Amino acid sequence: MTEEHSAGQDAPEKDTAGTGIDTTVPHSARIWNYWLGGKDNYAVDRAAGDQYREIFPGITVVARSSRGFLTRAVRYLAREAGIRQFLDIGTGLPTADNTHQVAQRVAPDSKIVYVDNDPLVLAYARALLAGQAEGPIEYLDADIRNPEAILDAAADLLDFKQPIALMLMGIMGHFTDEEAYPIVHRLQAGLPSGSYFALYDGADTNEAFTQAQQGYNDSGAVPYYLRSPARFEPFFEGLEMVEPGLVPVPDWRPDPDAEPVEIYSYCGVGRKL
Amino acid sequence: MSTDDELPADISGPTVPRMILGHQLHRYREAAGISPDRAGYEIRASRSKISRMENGRVGFKERDVADLLDLYGVTENETRAVLMTLARQANAPGWWSKYGGDIMTDWFEEYLGLEAAAAVIRAFELQFVHGLFQTEAYARAVTLLGNTSAPAEEVDRRVSLRLKRQDLLTGPRPPQVWAVLDEGALRRPVGGRSVMRGQLKRLIEAAGQREVTIQVVPFDRGGHAAAGGSFTVLRFVDEDVPDVVYIEQLTSALYLDKREDVDHYLEVLNRLSTEALTPAQTTQFLAAIIKEM
Repeated sequence: MTEEHSAGQDAPEKDTAGTGIDTTVPHSARIWNYWLGGKDNYAVDRAAGDQYREIFPGITVVARSSRGFLTRAVRYLAREAGIRQFLDIGTGLPTADNTHQVAQRVAPDSKIVYVDNDPLVLAYARALLAGQAEGPIEYLDADIRNPEAILDAAADLLDFKQPIALMLMGIMGHFTDEEAYPIVHRLQAGLPSGSYFALYDGADTNEAFTQAQQGYNDSGAVPYYLRSPARFEPFFEGLEMVEPGLVPVPDWRPDPDAEPVEIYSYCGVGRKL
Repeated sequence: MSTDDELPADISGPTVPRMILGHQLHRYREAAGISPDRAGYEIRASRSKISRMENGRVGFKERDVADLLDLYGVTENETRAVLMTLARQANAPGWWSKYGGDIMTDWFEEYLGLEAAAAVIRAFELQFVHGLFQTEAYARAVTLLGNTSAPAEEVDRRVSLRLKRQDLLTGPRPPQVWAVLDEGALRRPVGGRSVMRGQLKRLIEAAGQREVTIQVVPFDRGGHAAAGGSFTVLRFVDEDVPDVVYIEQLTSALYLDKREDVDHYLEVLNRLSTEALTPAQTTQFLAAIIKEM
């Protein structure tokens, strides 16, 4: 395994002419944008995205369902749990329903700190997310491998005496278990009691998904590893799980009109006691 | 007689109905399995005319729309009535039409329609401050640069057209505007120092608006990405309508909407925006230039 993980988006090591953008290898945030029907992607991303889809046609539904979980989780946190502060690490390129839009629709004064270390994601976030914000949002250029630095910087906007929802949406797959669990636990340790933690990631319960992911990891992009559902549990160690617990993404508090789909990503929301 | 009340209908002009109608025609043609050539033949036009119609870039003759709907087997009266209404709206003049053909070329008229229909406007400006942010004095100075011998009345009309465009930003549904400016566009004292100071203050003000993002590429950055000149990329609400790149030339303009072309310009914009100062740094940078000027 390589050591070129980042906060969830690619950190190219090739010559990128000083901008951190490499258009010769696929870029996870841009491929994700492509699968979600966006236009902020390049030929190399579309080729990689199509190749992936040939092996695992379900990926488009996975992408959409995962965003659906983000929406439902944030809505639950804002509406049912009364959370007004969100720390969303590994933001990705803006899409239709970003964390702050969902949260600020429930409570316009919700504060959101987005964290990423990909220059393209940050540029888009500063320009386009700000334009849609009803309330205060902030973007941090920081690496998740330094959790304390993120917590420190987030304290400029967030009040660490009040509960905070920590969100890691589809980014811990970029790390091995040995790296991932300590990162998550250190982040959780910095949050006050009554805070929440929401996570989803890809699981290895489908052969085609696993195979497509392997092909992607061989393409030169920053790799992303699928976990067995059991290996998700340590992320939530010591937390009180919100019903229905750790489940496939479509099963987490589905909308009443949701059509049943089989999805191989797992998710959960836990509360810090 | 233009008042703020009538802005919504007034400002958007015919381009939005064109895009919607074009998109519907595209869907019906595909559903009927009919090639663009065949459709073009039916209305005595070319394949590229069909493509321009479907992308919402031209007006529609009602008879052409009716013929195409016949060809595509769209017979339901209600559907046809809606589409024919769109066809009429698609030919309605935009607010800019009253500015007169002597200052309003077809290509600029097309641009104003697209700009008014855009959800996101991304621009790179090498020489001048973007038209959506120009003060009246700056706009006048730029206009005089290009029309040294024009009568005062014509200059007035050109300036007022330029400023009228900015209503877009104060309207009910402003687009997001993400402009990257080269430092040169800020240093060149168009209209003199005092005009330029006013213009830079206006830029700081504009950057404070929620929908507006301004980033400056300082002289010491961005040499490689800025190859070429100024250009604008427009994105529309309807996901099926392709992004359009607009490049203004001295006597005409270039529109690109092929994916390969758009990709290239998006890539340049993305590079520029990642190496430019952040929006917050840009505001400080602008304030510093004002002091020096």
